[in-house]
Amino acid sequence: MKILIGIVESGSEEYLFVLENGKPVLIKADDKLIGKFANYEILRQKPLKINDKPIKGPGVFKFRYGPVTSGILEAGCYHLYTYGEKILNATINISWKKRDLEQAMQQKSPEESLFMAERICSNFAMSHSLAFSRAVEMALDIRPSLLTHNWRTLFIESERIYNHLHVIQKLASSAAQKVLAAHLSALFEDALRLSEALTGSRYLMGVNHIGKLSPTPEVSIIQKIIDGYQELKERFTKLYKKSLSDNNYLDRLHSSGTLTQEQAQTFGLTGPSLRACGVKGELYDDSRHLIDLPVITKKEGDALARMEVRAEEIVNSCQYLIDHLRVSDSWPEEGDEKVQTENTGGTGYALVNSPSGALGYYVEIVNRKMKQVNIFTPSYPGMHAISQVLEGHIFTDFPFVVDSFGVHFADAAC
Amino acid sequence: MIRWWPLYGLKRKLTEGKEYESRIRLRFTPEKIFNRSLFVYAIDVGSSNALNFEISALKSPQYNIHRFGIYFTDSPRHADVLLVLGQPVPLMIDPLMETINQLPKPFSIITIRDFPDRPGSVDFPELPNHIADLKGVPSPSEIIGLLLDVAKTKRKQS
Repeated sequence: MKILIGIVESGSEEYLFVLENGKPVLIKADDKLIGKFANYEILRQKPLKINDKPIKGPGVFKFRYGPVTSGILEAGCYHLYTYGEKILNATINISWKKRDLEQAMQQKSPEESLFMAERICSNFAMSHSLAFSRAVEMALDIRPSLLTHNWRTLFIESERIYNHLHVIQKLASSAAQKVLAAHLSALFEDALRLSEALTGSRYLMGVNHIGKLSPTPEVSIIQKIIDGYQELKERFTKLYKKSLSDNNYLDRLHSSGTLTQEQAQTFGLTGPSLRACGVKGELYDDSRHLIDLPVITKKEGDALARMEVRAEEIVNSCQYLIDHLRVSDSWPEEGDEKVQTENTGGTGYALVNSPSGALGYYVEIVNRKMKQVNIFTPSYPGMHAISQVLEGHIFTDFPFVVDSFGVHFADAAC
Repeated sequence: MIRWWPLYGLKRKLTEGKEYESRIRLRFTPEKIFNRSLFVYAIDVGSSNALNFEISALKSPQYNIHRFGIYFTDSPRHADVLLVLGQPVPLMIDPLMETINQLPKPFSIITIRDFPDRPGSVDFPELPNHIADLKGVPSPSEIIGLLLDVAKTKRKQS
């Protein structure tokens, strides 16, 4: 399976950044190849106003939601065309949060750019940091140690847990499940505290560097972290099972924002949104040195399926962290790593499984300064999918459709 | 099954009895009118999302901010404090100033700049009643400490 993640223009050449059978590849663009990807034009044009197709008709008006509204805390705007209750078309304007960080990274050192990458969308800080550092490591021929690889994999799972909890908490809150939402909110805070215990930062910032990591947790506190994830897993499992027996809750999610496999692939979706449509195998696997995580898929492709994928991933990720933290003190420190390099330039690219899908970086380095940086985030295709599937829904479905994709304006409009 | 939720909710005590302190000193003391009833409206002007997540975390049962009389409101017209999140992108200055126009008097403004030196960002224009300017991503307990300074509420309430 091939998914087009982004388009890279280097000099006068155009390359396609493709996720192929779980691995990122860069392929020189030609008409035959371009024709295989339905999302090529979207990624080529990269409009800041997504699905900008105003609708006119008797009684049709534009309902503007954002950029200042408590319903969507982030600076972004939805334009919903409607004659009353039904959404006829949705345009999403991401320009309110456009910070041009790709350009800002140019002529900066890799370390300075890494600092910026962590601040593009801080709830995906580890994913951005890791994708960027892996791309730079490829460009400069740096090989991190096995220990670094292992810890990075664990940090990504830690990020996945609190992000998934946040999404499910928002869905429960929108469905007026106040007790469930409050408990999930408590678990979300606990997950942030566990991330802090693991790395010293609630958002896992400042721990990953090019080719290496900051000191990992002391053995003395690892048992406490393991206990924390064990408790979180048990409490979440109990809540999740209870929530699945509540028809009031499930009815709100069922059949909301349904995507077919074909539609998901047309938008270039990855992550839980794609897995909720029954697609397996897009997962980028860089954890060959650790036990594989089971891939969760659902068939229905609606908000409920997306929630279920995330819920089961929380349980799996907790178990994954528990199992690996238990043996982390026996991981070998020496290996074939190459942290220092005399290379001052090169080209590199990398993909990371962020909580909401494949997150990629392409970098060109000259004299240890960034010449070009391209960032491909899962939120951008996610926004396109949202704008399409909102059509035909009523206003009360809006939060379930939007929140179930787990996308962010900060991520889409970097 | 729904009837069991309240029981499940009540049998666990999640609220913490900590004291919340803020390292940030207020630029000036706001009017006493906010005593033990502080309505906060948050606006994102270009944050990296960590602050938005911290606002979500603030609403968690561990902090239970309602016991201090602190509430997040859905409209700036009901707010005593405007919490401005992030280093602004130029486009968000006008919406920010319009939001300030909608605040009832007296009001206070707190800005939190998570990435103060971000290239391409702009500085805040002169903001009225700008009582605090934080840099970085403060923890929820620090934000509560600051709001308690504004509300002049007791530090610890069970």
